Amino acid sequence: MSDPLIIEPPRPNPLRDPRDRRLPRVPEPCALVVFGITGDLARKKLLPAVYDLHSRGLLPTDFVLVGFARRDWSDGDFEDMAREAARTGARTPWREELWSRLAGNIRFVPGSFDDDNAFDELSRVLDEMRDSHGIKGNAAFYLSIPPSAFPVVLKQLQRTGMADNGKSGGWRRVVVEKPFGTDLESSRELNDLVDDVFTAEDVFRIDHYLGKETVQNILALRFANQLFEPVWNSHYVDSVQITMAEDVGIGSRAGFYDQTGAARDVLQNHVLQLLALVGMEEPVEFTPDAIRTEKIKVLRAITLPADLGSYAIRGQYTQGWLAGERVLGYRQEKDVPEPSQTETYAAVTLDIETRRWAGVPFYLRTGKRLPRRVTEISILFKKAPHLPFSKTDTEELGHNQLVIRVQPDEGVTLKFGSKVPGSQMEVRDVAMDFLYGETFTEASPEAYERLLLDVLLGDAMLFPLNEEVEASWDVIDPLEEHWSGQAPYRYRAGEWGPGEAEQMLARDGRVWRRP
Amino acid sequence: MSTLWDTTGSQVVKALTAERRAGGTVMSGLALTLVIVVDEKQVAEAEEAARIAASVHPCRLLLVVRRQVDAPVPRLDAEVLIGGRLGPGEAVVMRMYGRLALHAESVVLPLLAPDAPVVTWWHGPPPEVIAHDPLGVFAERRITDCAWLPDPAQGLATRAADYLPGDTDLSWTRTTGWRAALAAAFDSLSGQALGGRVEGNPNSPSAQLLTGWLHARLGAPIELVDTERPSGTHVAAVRIDLDTDREVVLRRLDAGAVSVTGGAGPDTVIQLPVRSLGELLGEELRRLDADQPYGEALGAATGVTGLAGRSGRRRHVWKDPAERANA
Repeated sequence: MSDPLIIEPPRPNPLRDPRDRRLPRVPEPCALVVFGITGDLARKKLLPAVYDLHSRGLLPTDFVLVGFARRDWSDGDFEDMAREAARTGARTPWREELWSRLAGNIRFVPGSFDDDNAFDELSRVLDEMRDSHGIKGNAAFYLSIPPSAFPVVLKQLQRTGMADNGKSGGWRRVVVEKPFGTDLESSRELNDLVDDVFTAEDVFRIDHYLGKETVQNILALRFANQLFEPVWNSHYVDSVQITMAEDVGIGSRAGFYDQTGAARDVLQNHVLQLLALVGMEEPVEFTPDAIRTEKIKVLRAITLPADLGSYAIRGQYTQGWLAGERVLGYRQEKDVPEPSQTETYAAVTLDIETRRWAGVPFYLRTGKRLPRRVTEISILFKKAPHLPFSKTDTEELGHNQLVIRVQPDEGVTLKFGSKVPGSQMEVRDVAMDFLYGETFTEASPEAYERLLLDVLLGDAMLFPLNEEVEASWDVIDPLEEHWSGQAPYRYRAGEWGPGEAEQMLARDGRVWRRP
Repeated sequence: MSTLWDTTGSQVVKALTAERRAGGTVMSGLALTLVIVVDEKQVAEAEEAARIAASVHPCRLLLVVRRQVDAPVPRLDAEVLIGGRLGPGEAVVMRMYGRLALHAESVVLPLLAPDAPVVTWWHGPPPEVIAHDPLGVFAERRITDCAWLPDPAQGLATRAADYLPGDTDLSWTRTTGWRAALAAAFDSLSGQALGGRVEGNPNSPSAQLLTGWLHARLGAPIELVDTERPSGTHVAAVRIDLDTDREVVLRRLDAGAVSVTGGAGPDTVIQLPVRSLGELLGEELRRLDADQPYGEALGAATGVTGLAGRSGRRRHVWKDPAERANA
């Protein structure tokens, strides 16, 4: 007799042909349940991403969006809010008839996170929609809520059995946003809690940087080409610089930011993920498991310099001018406590103790209120061991560089020396550019669009594992410990960080590249 | 923009270089060159489609208009545009008169972006044998459109006989929406297809290719039946019989939507808008590798076997239309 809980291995769909790349990958029928649907992220990113996916025909026909929040709303009120949010943020052209199709499948469940009745109601709604909307028990829960609310929501999901794949007769997945804890210990607690309620492979940790085309292109650049991998090691590479700069301040996030700081907010996740992709060994195959294995290896091989005082610099912006406007210093921002020691800038030198990278410093920096918003990875190659030209000929020749521009102006630049036209031999740096906007073909989807689709498809390639998160905290915790009690250096809003960060490189005879 | 009257190919190359310099934005990474073969009457239509496609896929556009092949004196007029009415990229519109029209490649070859793929699109009745048109011979991807032909069934048979990997047809592109909807309906279905029916215009190459595709993929007999359909569309409905006593029916409601009944989920309506020529062309330019599923569907629709096994490149076969006229 067949057990209803044992799902037969699905027969492959005869109409799907891997060679047929005109047909989009569409997830199975499912529901997306968003906790904290009234929050900033949900309104600015998630709802527009849902509309964009729908308008590109990438959502299954049986798709339901369920919002959960403490509002006294009807389905109609929720739909109005969702419509407004989607219309404001959508990337693809707004088409009312497309939205109205989606709007028919939108539900709202009011309640607070400690309200058992509300979660029972949510569970009932999902069960009911299994047949009425054909979602077959598949649901993804998106926790767009502060980490402090995680435990209570997860417990509720466990209590009602909503997190149980077997009980629901479909898949149940959970999506967690950063911050994944505030240090190693708290992140372990969080991971234990999430993995306790959901099975480990059903947990998707979103690092939206990994959804960017340029970041995914790092793997293609390295492993699809013959040109770069042979020189991608300490024999040829002098140093690596990873910059993630923002021109904005902290906005209205003072409460969160003052507790967190630049290192925990950005370095721990985005920047270390970029470092992992640049530094990892070749995965044995292009599968989530194989790629994550290599990323964990390189993250665990990171070591901090002994002299943290000189090689781990943090800064805090003071009042200054940026883009033609006077901006406040960090301590003058609304709701920031006056003697705040929180850093808004962090620069650190890391080493990777592997055969490939030993001796190559990785300079990482991130900050707010820097001159422009830019994220890039720059591989600086060693200078030629011998130059047959006279010294004056090559004065303007710098390091050969490969720059991966993550954003904006997504693309890759290769810098090398070239003769200046004229009767004299003079070599100067020139750049060879590849620009996505110029060469490609398809408009790149928003990171959230891609990641949301991957969650619904169950493709974990672009989501960091909890081991990766823990390995990253292992790097950040000693830094935080070293910094605690110290005052951050000051830098003026609108300059490239504190002078001490310049000195950090100057000590090694290097300079930051101006991104 | 520069316009050259009674000019030569070298002058056109020079004008293009000059325009690129003057524009200040020298495009370094051209993804492809799109050669459009079009008749004077359809130039506006082709330009509009090319503009839409070029805005998503930056490329160099080369429009070739062959005129008055019997004119006694060959002549070339050209217009070079960058960032103008033909989208953000570079475009050259060439009008060729007299015997030059039969040697269009002599003007086009030096204008191809170096080492970038070439796509040739005939916006008009496709050549009977692609090798007869030198503009199709050097292209990696060749886009024809059988819907231009009075007898599309014959047209598809001709395409099948002439098929090489890299060929594709816009009547196939027009089926993508239907195919995506059908594939989605089958995602959650168990059971084997026993047979089915495509209801629509039996004279439409799209309906024929859709029928061929279903037949090839499902391994079950699929017939194409003449049925009333909303205006501007080719297929009114697709019905598939399953061995689980189910019948899945996708029916076109109007030019924008299709209803799905009998699937695993509740009955629904999905959006399936009829797309513009520019959007179709845009889809074609997204991938530049050979489209094997098209070959499979074309084979199944026409009963020609062995399309998948063909390979190689075409060589130009000289054919003089004047000789045929005299014969």
